[in-house]
Amino acid sequence: MTAATGRGPALPAGLRERVLAASLRSRAAGRPFPPAPQITGAEAFRRAADAFHGMLLTLSAADWATPALRDLDVQGLVGHLTGVEEDMHLALARDVRVATVSHVESTQPAADRQAGRTAAQTRAEWRRAAGRTIDLVRVSGDPSAEIAVHGMRMPLELLLVARAFELWVHDSDIRRAVGLPPAAPDASTLSLMTSSVAGMLPLAAALTGVSEPTSVHLVLTGPGGGTWDLLIGDGSPDAPATTIVVDAVGFCQLVGNRAAPDELDLYITGDSGRAARVLAAASALALD
Amino acid sequence: MGGDALLAARLGAGDDHALTEVFDRLATAVYDGAVRVLGDQSAAQDVVQDVFVELWSRPGRYDPAAGPLRAYLVMRARHRAVDLIRSELRRVARQEHSYRLALQEPGPSPHEEVMVSEAAIAVRAALGMLPESQRRIVELAYFGGLTCREAAKAAGIPEGTAKSRLRLALARLETVLDRQLLEPS
Repeated sequence: MTAATGRGPALPAGLRERVLAASLRSRAAGRPFPPAPQITGAEAFRRAADAFHGMLLTLSAADWATPALRDLDVQGLVGHLTGVEEDMHLALARDVRVATVSHVESTQPAADRQAGRTAAQTRAEWRRAAGRTIDLVRVSGDPSAEIAVHGMRMPLELLLVARAFELWVHDSDIRRAVGLPPAAPDASTLSLMTSSVAGMLPLAAALTGVSEPTSVHLVLTGPGGGTWDLLIGDGSPDAPATTIVVDAVGFCQLVGNRAAPDELDLYITGDSGRAARVLAAASALALD
Repeated sequence: MGGDALLAARLGAGDDHALTEVFDRLATAVYDGAVRVLGDQSAAQDVVQDVFVELWSRPGRYDPAAGPLRAYLVMRARHRAVDLIRSELRRVARQEHSYRLALQEPGPSPHEEVMVSEAAIAVRAALGMLPESQRRIVELAYFGGLTCREAAKAAGIPEGTAKSRLRLALARLETVLDRQLLEPS
């Protein structure tokens, strides 16, 4: 007996089901190959900090004065990151003063005080602050402990991934400003970033008012990628899943609000309108 | 990115929808390629499964820059089919050896074993490409069920020559079967 499957002559009945089932037994759906070696959020943050410091060491004196983000030059942006680390130190000490403060306003004093300093002083201050964050996490950081900072409340493990994400986004800001080539995180760090962001996509959609029930088959390609089936909105979807395929790094740029959907090499099947609304919602996760 | 490169990237990302798409588009070509080598539909189904499991579990082995996915999968099917034939040849050779060690025990002849094997058709075709002197000794030893000494006597050649021709013939058979991989689908 034979059964038709798609174009061409018929295949033996049951072969399609048998082959697909055997394939998925050999590797579960959603799991990328090759799998990125697993690391912790703390390790991802440490690697991101090392990469950021390495990039800073390549900058010329003129680069440090180049406008980079908002009204900040490169030196001011590094100062902003020093301020973020100082708020992290307080958050790790369970200081509630930094729980709900604005990410930008709270760190502005640290950015402002860089005026008149040398690049080396700014870089060294940031390096010390990031190193202190790493030390505090190592000494007392329970990965599952909830930490509240800058309006976010999440387990330390997830917060450190978000911090690695932030360092990479600002690393990219500086590279773009001074004309350095872009750099992607290593696959292990990127894998943590994409997993975290994919899991938070329904929340991002809710934050931006996307309420129509949508089933999304999200495929992030390249190192650090993977596949996720997400339910977005309220209730049961009334349409087949919308497939969104995009490069993992490009998707992170979108989430970091550093790329628009129309700047990415996207492959979409299903309801393109729903896909566009989900992609637009992704950047709601950005801190700036 | 598009076409096969996009499919390869999706397979690497663990996109099971991509696996289904590839199967629906190319499984028939893979199956046909396997049937052509093996001449057996049941064994060809096993080859299809092996090829798709390998594609899914080791997607990085396919390089879109090296050629179309269809050609890659059909080539893998032929490789796998020839592997099956080789393994069948070795099994028959081992079985023939054991018959020699237990001559008094009745049982199916090596000729019968080969003829019922899934590889028979392809092996027959490959035999036809051997030089007459080598083909004769293979037919006597494997299909005629003779010992090497008996085959040598039947062919009118020394036993050492018969053994040498048999070795050369088996080596050549593998080469001939390999060459089938290069034939277009």
